[in-house]
Amino acid sequence: MRRRISAYGLTFSLPLLIWQLLFFVFPLVFLIALSFWTVRNFRMQPDFDTVNWTTMYGRAIFWQAYGTTLALATAAAALTSVLAFPCAYAIAFKLPNGARRWAIMLMVIPFFTSYLVRIYSWQVFLSDAGIINVMLGWIGLGPYGLLNTMGATLLGYVTLALPLVVLLQLFSLIFLDRTLIEAAHNMRCGRLRTVFAVVIPSARVGLVIAALFAFILSFGDFVSPIYLGGGDPTTLSILITDTTKSGQQWPRAAVIALTMIVTLMVVAFLSVRFAYRGRK
Amino acid sequence: MTQAPLVSFEGVAKRFGSYIAVQKMDLKIWQGEFLAIMGSSGCGKTTTLRMLAGLEAPSEGVIRLAGKPINDLPSWARDTPMVWQSLALFPFLSVIENVEFALKMRGVGRAERRRRAEQWLDRMQIGEFADRDISQLSGGQRQRVALARSLVVEPQILLLDEPLSALDAALKVRMQSVLKTLQRETGITFVYVTHSQSEAFSMADRVVIMSRGKIEQIGTPQDIYRAPRTRFVADFLGASNIFSGKVARDPQGRTVIATDSGQFALPGNVGVSGQPASLTVLDTRMQIHDQPPGGARNSVAARMVGEEFVGATATIYFETEAGQELRVQKSHEDLAGLPLSIGQPFHLSWAMEDGHLVQE
Amino acid sequence: MNTGNPANRSPLLHGLLMLYVVLAYLFVFAPILASFVFSFNSDRFPSIPLGQFSTEWYRAVAADPLVWEGLRNTLLVGVVVALISTALGFGAAYTDYRYSFLGKQVYLALALLPPTIPVVIMGLAMLAFLSRVNLSGDALAVIIAHVVICAPFAMAVIRLRLSQMDPSLEQAAWNLGASEWAAMRHVIIPFCRPAILGALFVTMAVSFDEFAIAWFVSGLNETLPVKVLGFLQGQVSPRINAIGTFVFVTSMMLLILAQLLLGHGPASRKE
Repeated sequence: MRRRISAYGLTFSLPLLIWQLLFFVFPLVFLIALSFWTVRNFRMQPDFDTVNWTTMYGRAIFWQAYGTTLALATAAAALTSVLAFPCAYAIAFKLPNGARRWAIMLMVIPFFTSYLVRIYSWQVFLSDAGIINVMLGWIGLGPYGLLNTMGATLLGYVTLALPLVVLLQLFSLIFLDRTLIEAAHNMRCGRLRTVFAVVIPSARVGLVIAALFAFILSFGDFVSPIYLGGGDPTTLSILITDTTKSGQQWPRAAVIALTMIVTLMVVAFLSVRFAYRGRK
Repeated sequence: MTQAPLVSFEGVAKRFGSYIAVQKMDLKIWQGEFLAIMGSSGCGKTTTLRMLAGLEAPSEGVIRLAGKPINDLPSWARDTPMVWQSLALFPFLSVIENVEFALKMRGVGRAERRRRAEQWLDRMQIGEFADRDISQLSGGQRQRVALARSLVVEPQILLLDEPLSALDAALKVRMQSVLKTLQRETGITFVYVTHSQSEAFSMADRVVIMSRGKIEQIGTPQDIYRAPRTRFVADFLGASNIFSGKVARDPQGRTVIATDSGQFALPGNVGVSGQPASLTVLDTRMQIHDQPPGGARNSVAARMVGEEFVGATATIYFETEAGQELRVQKSHEDLAGLPLSIGQPFHLSWAMEDGHLVQE
Repeated sequence: MNTGNPANRSPLLHGLLMLYVVLAYLFVFAPILASFVFSFNSDRFPSIPLGQFSTEWYRAVAADPLVWEGLRNTLLVGVVVALISTALGFGAAYTDYRYSFLGKQVYLALALLPPTIPVVIMGLAMLAFLSRVNLSGDALAVIIAHVVICAPFAMAVIRLRLSQMDPSLEQAAWNLGASEWAAMRHVIIPFCRPAILGALFVTMAVSFDEFAIAWFVSGLNETLPVKVLGFLQGQVSPRINAIGTFVFVTSMMLLILAQLLLGHGPASRKE
């Protein structure tokens, strides 16, 4: 095969490259410049001023939001992984092939339903006169204030991330060498111990990557913390939308966005390193 | 053969980075011949074929087709159709559409290309499958489609890259005769790459043996079989006993080769004294004696160490005093009367003309 | 662990795991199903017990000219995004399949990374950049932004198909006299046709549901999901359920079409 890229080859390679450089890389790089611009009389001016950084980093609300977001996203990643694992495990090892294909197809459906509609649906479940409180009322409990809590925010995050995490875990488990499990049983390793001593370590890369995606999705989501969490406590994503949409303070929003990107890059780097630790 | 060659490789070499796939080589392919290029995997045979088809560009040297250099011609501008190991039939086209493909690319009209494609399908005895999907055909039928697809443009040359390797043994033998007949009838030059000695030797007019990017020997199957030119070829064919030693003169002034197992006479005045060399003798050309044979034959004493029977022939294994392993192939009748048993001492002999000196 | 020996299985454990799987799917599908059920329910504030069966929310939605405008924008954006991102994704998939070059890792990262960047960040970056070049607030802005996140999906779908192709197929076409362009037209594209159609539908479905970036950059040219976000911000309204059900059914049809095309190997082999 000819390796040299010709006019013919460039016709196919260049369009995407140009598009992503122009409309993906460039806007992200532009954020860096933007974060040093200044706003006077509601108008942005190109500038080199660190005022946005010092202002944002000097605010308690920013650090409070940062802490909240980090904690919530970490909790969501852990919770989603733990909730997804038995499900992925059962689908990978307990279901016959046909049923497994169906299970995978069903898990893909949520990706193509509106996340907003699902969040609105949870409001219907959680509100004071909602489905859950009505049902609790039948047995003489409640009503409880379920909506506008951190728990509700987490529920939204799990809704967002669970299908992806189940699928990613599932794929790492399906490709696991099953003779490893038989070998473990053969060496008197019991059922549950086999899961922790053999299955989880062997599928570690997939499990960590799945948790990483849950973290990324939750970290950037603004719908669940607003419409299920009630916007309090504030998360970084809420801060961005507020700063952009109502405050017209785009340079400050850029500071938040850049902080988020750096955080995500550090988390991604650490996770991947952890996932591949001791492997080559 | 006085006419110009159809294809000539002139000092052609191919490197992939620092890896040398084909070393500077010269090769002429004649109009109408069936040429097999044979060697083990990685010897450069497929690269040679792909350079001819324009799928790899030579790092140096010139390839000529019908006298004209074709180095800079892209694949699609050469008439060098090829049959792939995987056959590479287009799965989304029907049988006849596959065969029409090359004609369509050459701008042949719909009716004309259908007619010519049908003609070739009939010739390959698969006319009834014209409208089938490729996936509905058997291995042998696919083989025929691939041949028809390449031959429909009636080229001067057809390249074949291990086309039979996916078939079972019986079908392989049948397809060999189909190929040979086809080549003889059409007079199209076939260049056939294979790792199989039986395929190359049963079909080809001439065989090229390659090793590590280099041509080891070119010749008719008989010539190569009887007189391998290099130690590698002798080893590769596996049909000869090989004695290693040095060229010398015996007291009568004849050329001999001095080995650990003794001195053996060579035909004619070949080799330079003192030069390391090897002597090959076909295992079918050796005789077994229970007494030392007299006369002019070369002979060596050896002890029997094993035997093996395949069909009508038996292979008897021997070892000389010096530890040299030897092998003799005979029919069962030839062996009758010999006291064959493991450990028994014998004498092996061969006529001087059956020994060939090969380069180390 | 489906070993042959029944002694290696525990019916209780097996039953519990199966129950768990059912519960997990129930959790995933509860909001989707609830939205469907309540879209036909007359109550202003949906809950149980259910009220009357009613299509009033569908009528309310259908009577809202802004919803129609949103739908038109969504469809326009969806179709254009599907076409552009499939074309770009095809080019990138073919590049990855055929060529190796210095910096290919970077190329692939650029081609595949965008969906992993949080949508708020993408939204802000797009808004800031596009308004700088006077493109924000336009349907074009939404198209540009959606192509960035949709092209990787198209590329993945088509690359998967290319990896199932015998590498000698393209060379065989050249060998039979097809130029690179002719081989592209007569071999590569026909081989990839089911995946190309699949990619069109998948990218359309992704664009159909994307609301965050669209919300940032769309200005007054709101797409339907952005409209839904508006409803959510305003009073709680079961109209969301009606729109949601409609969008769900549409996306599902696109997906099923894609699945049928991808599942049935060489779908069409006419000329």
